[in-house]
Amino acid sequence: MNENNKIRQSLNGVRATEEMKKNTLQYLLKKAEDIKPDSSTPKTGTPPQPFQRHHRLKYVLTAVCIFLFLGIGGYSVYRQPVSYISIDVNPSIELGINRFGRVVSADAYNDDGQLVLQTLSLKNAPYVQAIDTLLANESASGFLNEDSLLVFTVVSSQYASILENLNAAAFSRNYETCMYTSDTSCMEEAHRHAMSFGKYRGYQELSQYDASVTIEECHNMTMKEIHDRIESCHGHQGGSGLQHHGISPMGTPVPVQPASPNPADPGHHGKCHKQGG
Amino acid sequence: MKSQEDLTRVMETYGDMVRRICFVHLKNRHDTEDVFQNVYMKYLLHTTSFETAEHEKSWFVRVTINACTDWLRSLARRKWVPLDVIAEESDSLDSPSAEILEIVLKLPEKYRNVIYLHYYEEYTASEIAGILGKKENTIYTWLSRAKGILREKLGGEWA
Repeated sequence: MNENNKIRQSLNGVRATEEMKKNTLQYLLKKAEDIKPDSSTPKTGTPPQPFQRHHRLKYVLTAVCIFLFLGIGGYSVYRQPVSYISIDVNPSIELGINRFGRVVSADAYNDDGQLVLQTLSLKNAPYVQAIDTLLANESASGFLNEDSLLVFTVVSSQYASILENLNAAAFSRNYETCMYTSDTSCMEEAHRHAMSFGKYRGYQELSQYDASVTIEECHNMTMKEIHDRIESCHGHQGGSGLQHHGISPMGTPVPVQPASPNPADPGHHGKCHKQGG
Repeated sequence: MKSQEDLTRVMETYGDMVRRICFVHLKNRHDTEDVFQNVYMKYLLHTTSFETAEHEKSWFVRVTINACTDWLRSLARRKWVPLDVIAEESDSLDSPSAEILEIVLKLPEKYRNVIYLHYYEEYTASEIAGILGKKENTIYTWLSRAKGILREKLGGEWA
C-alpha cells in the first residue's frame, strides 16, 4: 500500500454523520426563514454565532480607530499655531496662538524674556489672559514701568480681530503701547538673527532713518530706546499724546481704532498710544 | 437565497470533505459541528454563483480551512489534543488508521492542510497554492517537510 492510499484509507472513516447533516440542514432552513422577511434586520434573541461576533469585533475596532484618528488629528490641529504675537518691552517674548485663540507656544528671545518665562505657564490660556499674566509678572519683576514702551506685533491672517482684542484689553490703557503687524518672511528673518519679530520690525524702521545702526546694537536696546531713537531721527518728539505710526512690512493698514485718530495719516500700519494714568 | 434542494445537494456533495477538514484542524466533535454549521451558513449567505463544480469545491475547501483557523484563533483553542478527536472517531477507525492520523494530526497546521489536500483530495501543488493563497514553491516545501516528518515517524513505505 503506498503512502497515498494509506492517508486516504485512514481518513475514509471520517465522514459527516447523517445526524450532523440533518441538524445543519434544519439550522440553515430556519436561518433562511429568519433572513427572508427583512435581510437587513437581524432577529433578536438569537445567540450570536462566531462569525457574527467576529463582525462585531471588526465594528468595535473600526470605531476605536476612527476615535483615535479624530483624537490625534484634533490634537494636531489644536497644537498648530496659526497666529503669532511678539511682545517686546525689554523682555522679548513671542506667543504662538492656535485657531481657537489659545497660546500653544511661548518663546523668549533674550535673557530677560527667559527669566520671565521661567516662572510662568502660559500654554492653553486665551492669549489676552496670557498677556495679562505676562505683563503682571513683568511689572512685578521691574521690567515694565510707566516709562516703558510696550510693543505688540502681530503676524496673522486674522490680525484685525487680534489687534482689536489687544486694543480693548486693560493693559493697553495702563501702559504706553504700540501695535504693528508683520508677516512670516519678516518673522523668519528675525529668527535668523535670534531676535523677536517685534524688535526686528523696530530695527528695520530705525535703520531707515539711521543707516549706522546695527542689529547687534538693537539686541541690547529696550523698545523704548529704539522708539526714542526713531522719534529723534524722525524729528518728532513724543509727548503725552504720543502718536506714531510705525512702518510694517506687511503693507496693509492696521484696522484698529486709534486712541487719538489722525485722519491725515490713514494708510499706516501701526499705532502707538499712551493713556494718561 | 439558496433553495432547500441546493442546500441538500451541497450537503451530500461536500459534507464529508468539510467534516474531514474540520477533523484535521479541530479539537473535538462539538467544535466540528459548530464550524460545520458555520461553513454551510456562509454558503447560504453566499450570493455569487460558481463558474464550475471545481470552483465550488475549492470554495468549500478554502472557506472550511478559514473557518477552522478563525475558530481556533477566536477561542484561543490552540492547544492540540489529537487523541481526543481520534477517540471520538474510534468506532469508524481501525488501529493502523488511528496511528497514521495521530501522526498527521500532530503536524503543524500548514502541513496538515497540504497533506490532506494533496493525499486525500488529490489536488496538485499548484491547485493547493491557489486555494491557500500561497506560492507554489511554498506548497512544495511544506509537502516535502510534512512527508519527511511522516517518513521519520511512520517508516515503512514512507521511508
